[in-house]
Amino acid sequence: MPTPLDELIEALRCLPGVGARSAQRMAHHLLQRDRRGAQRLARAIEAALTTLTHCARCNAFSETTVCARCSDPARDATLVCVVESPADMEAIEQTHSYRGLYYVLMGRLSPLDGIGPKELELERLLERLAAPEVREVVLATNFTNEGEATAHWIAERVRARGLAVTRLARGVPLGGELEYVDPATVAHALIDRRRLDAT
Amino acid sequence: MARRQRVEAEPAYVLHARPWRETSLLLEVLTLEHGRLALVAKGARRPGSQLRSVLLTFQPLVLGWSGAGEVRTLTRADWAGGVPLPQGRALWCGYYLNELVLRLLAREDPHREVFLAYDAAVRALAAGEPLAPVLRRFELAFLAALGYGLDWPHTVAGRYRFEPHRGLVPLMEGESAPGEVVLSAQTLEDLRAGCWSRPATLAEVRALTRRLIDHALDGQELQARRMLRELLE
Repeated sequence: MPTPLDELIEALRCLPGVGARSAQRMAHHLLQRDRRGAQRLARAIEAALTTLTHCARCNAFSETTVCARCSDPARDATLVCVVESPADMEAIEQTHSYRGLYYVLMGRLSPLDGIGPKELELERLLERLAAPEVREVVLATNFTNEGEATAHWIAERVRARGLAVTRLARGVPLGGELEYVDPATVAHALIDRRRLDAT
Repeated sequence: MARRQRVEAEPAYVLHARPWRETSLLLEVLTLEHGRLALVAKGARRPGSQLRSVLLTFQPLVLGWSGAGEVRTLTRADWAGGVPLPQGRALWCGYYLNELVLRLLAREDPHREVFLAYDAAVRALAAGEPLAPVLRRFELAFLAALGYGLDWPHTVAGRYRFEPHRGLVPLMEGESAPGEVVLSAQTLEDLRAGCWSRPATLAEVRALTRRLIDHALDGQELQARRMLRELLE
């Protein structure tokens, strides 16, 4: 029979990057130095688990069946931007340049880790994109090979349904001086170079 | 226990990377002279780490490492360049290659010819060459390096049945072999000449390599193959 302390340490180890030693340190800290913090943490986890679900439309965390962003009539429902994580969605929101809707994959395809289209529930995304108002899908998965593989998989399926598919551009960062940009980025910026037409 | 090792600069590819501890990556790499290795890239997941844009799969790299034991420490990673990332279906085929190597090539079992075949295959995939011949060439070279090579008949005529334990067995005139891998003399000639223009050659060799790979995998399923199939459905 494990003691409550052992049980707490073991439970903390479910956090990413937390091993036995960090878990022990956290448990001692919560019990010895910050009992109020510990209570707050316990209540917050409990509340989040019972009230938060995935939004039926964008798959991000939401208290309601459809989240506030997805039900905002001011947003452009013809555009759906596909991102890997809620953090990626916030990164795009911070640009104040995108007024469309989102779909959050909560991961990416990773064949060698056994994460395939089924595990990522890509059928749900395809159902979401089948809504009649959707005209364009913006693929904003990361520029890693897994992100690219995910984008390709979605693009193949979405194109077959006659929707426009676009991919976030890849290139030299704004304000970036070529001298200091890593060579792989410069190489791919060269591959993706575009014609400068007279305007 | 492996001996202490220090390697300064070695051509290599990252086959797979997964998060390790708070800020590091655990890499499986394929190297020219040292075979497949596990390396820890310390700090590679810190925001702004220079390693982020270097330690990509399907990119020729020059790596250095040191340490003893099963997992060494990455000490140097340079991007060798010249190969764009494979796109679309070619990228999925790349994952298939990586999974084959990870499943079938033991760590620390140096096979120069596996590296050279892998390098050629990745460059061909990135260049947008037709996928099937690229995959078949790699599979044959890889399987041969692992000891699953074919014993060629001196003169080829008629048709052959293939069995993993016996190799090529001549078929009698008019004999049928349902459910078995059958290779025609023309296919064997094409293989010897490295000619992939005939669809029947591609189909027969595909059945052959598939039988050999399934035999070598001993019942395990390849994830990349399953997902590629789901994509094409």
